[in-house]
Amino acid sequence: MQTPTLPHQPEPTDFDAFWDAVATELAHTEVAPEVELLPLRSSAEALVYGVRFTSIGPYRLFAYYIQPPPATGAGPRGVEVQLAGYGSVVHVPVGDLDHRWPEQRAVLTLCHRGQRLSDRPYAAAYPGLLTDGIESPESYAYRGIVADACRAVDFLLSRPPEEVDHGAITVTGNDIALFVAALRGREVAGVRAAPSLFYRLADVLPTTNDYPLAEFNDYLRTYPEHAADMARTLGYFDPLAAVRRAACPVHVGDDEFLAPLRAALGPHLAPPS
Amino acid sequence: MDLQPSRVGAVDRNGQPYDRSDPAGYGTSVTKPEGYDAFWQETWDRLQDIPLEPEVRLVPLRSDDEVIVYEGFYTSWERLRIACWYCVPRRTAGQRSPTIAIMPGYVSEPSLGTGKQWARAGYACVVVAPRGKLRSNSVFNPGYPGLLTHNLTDYQTYGYRGFYCDAWRAIDLLLSRPEVDPGRIAVTGGSQGGALTIVTAAWHPAIQAACPGAPYLCGMREAIDLTHTYPYEELNDYLRLCPDRRATVLRTLDFYDGINMAPRISCPTLMNIGLADPVCPPETGYAVFAAVGAAVKELRAYPGEGHGAGGAKHAPHVQAWMRHHLQVAA
Repeated sequence: MQTPTLPHQPEPTDFDAFWDAVATELAHTEVAPEVELLPLRSSAEALVYGVRFTSIGPYRLFAYYIQPPPATGAGPRGVEVQLAGYGSVVHVPVGDLDHRWPEQRAVLTLCHRGQRLSDRPYAAAYPGLLTDGIESPESYAYRGIVADACRAVDFLLSRPPEEVDHGAITVTGNDIALFVAALRGREVAGVRAAPSLFYRLADVLPTTNDYPLAEFNDYLRTYPEHAADMARTLGYFDPLAAVRRAACPVHVGDDEFLAPLRAALGPHLAPPS
Repeated sequence: MDLQPSRVGAVDRNGQPYDRSDPAGYGTSVTKPEGYDAFWQETWDRLQDIPLEPEVRLVPLRSDDEVIVYEGFYTSWERLRIACWYCVPRRTAGQRSPTIAIMPGYVSEPSLGTGKQWARAGYACVVVAPRGKLRSNSVFNPGYPGLLTHNLTDYQTYGYRGFYCDAWRAIDLLLSRPEVDPGRIAVTGGSQGGALTIVTAAWHPAIQAACPGAPYLCGMREAIDLTHTYPYEELNDYLRLCPDRRATVLRTLDFYDGINMAPRISCPTLMNIGLADPVCPPETGYAVFAAVGAAVKELRAYPGEGHGAGGAKHAPHVQAWMRHHLQVAA
């Protein structure tokens, strides 16, 4: 029952074609935005909206959209898109002991497909999401999740310029944020990413029993005959391949483990904060 | 819409700014509401009349050389089917093992990884997914945020009534299993898992040791003034919108507060808190520890630590506590 290793996978030759197809699918899907104030979560310091928009599938998504109240200054405002980490619940991005929204920026926190509030009709399993559909890049759950993250940017671009400063949209998140840097890099001002799901997996997986990455090992151990297919799929989700196509400043942190990522970013590597 | 301001900074129970310099001496205003003991005894008694209907299904995908993983199911309050992970060490197959029940946090899914970690150390282990968690949410699904305020104005149907029962029933599932030594069962968890650890140790006679960490749902009357982070902020959101319901809300919370449960605990109890915890204020940790009825109890308060309450530093103490009180050979 020993866990097979994940084969090293070169960048797929049709990497760009694969993601171009996703971009085309997004372009042919209307954003169809809907914005509703959530009085229960709002206060005099922060207006909390529930927003819905449509990603590829088509799939209807939910996000929290938080704006400082008008009294703190007129728009347009820059917006930070927060892509939540691996888990079913996405937090309302307000609530802190001494930090009640002093900034002028707004925040959009996305619940990607499978996460709660975006879990109809697809409710992701935890553990389970990380290998759902991994038999092929077309069926892999993260193809849609990357599209969802891009669609969050599209939603903000659909908002009126007096509300959102379209030149000041930034994105924070894990590996998915790096794909936004590649697919929506010309539309966003910058990306801050802490890759944790797909980076250097062939090196990392033999060293860990920890979930969520242990999901990959569970899959390899149970379906060793699919190891090559799994590696092929993950080739399309390699953060290194994504950052080679980044079109905006990207900050990935200073850890030595991330040195290849910084090198691959080249001119788009954001200066250390 | 006339939106009310939210609070900024910690205030004491009189609404005055509070510097938090003496969390251990802060105390609590939580007391048992009228009818408390009868309410929980009735809840316990009614639960015993519901057939457990335990079931485990092997999960080959999650099993490995060291650990056999099952998905478990049982019937709980209002006859809801509740799911859990059940992990058994391979090396003790055919023997009864010391056993740990792991209670989950508020938003996180039950940690299969933690269950497998305990199983690798030789313990059978259940990782509970109470109602509302994935796999237990087909009927009851208030969401996050949502659970903390579900039926908040009625203590009889408040969401946590069934939730607490689900934790108790996980121990009954363990008692139905041939791999479990019924005389060596302990319970642990952090945050909401800490609260459920207290609730389970307080009521279930099979529990021999308890290790609650950063306990949530304790000292709730104080917590809503001392912190503005979720999940407690759910209560502040509700009270900001419905201030006229404050007395009713606080009465409900008193029925479910860990401080009112803790005096029933008689098993050895090790608790940890973070003195810089922005989620579960350390003042409430001290208060619930003071209320724990066990003769053998120990509190480890970690300066500078947040909601992780010592995390990796504290883990060896939990492992040693379990080994000692469940009589596990080193």
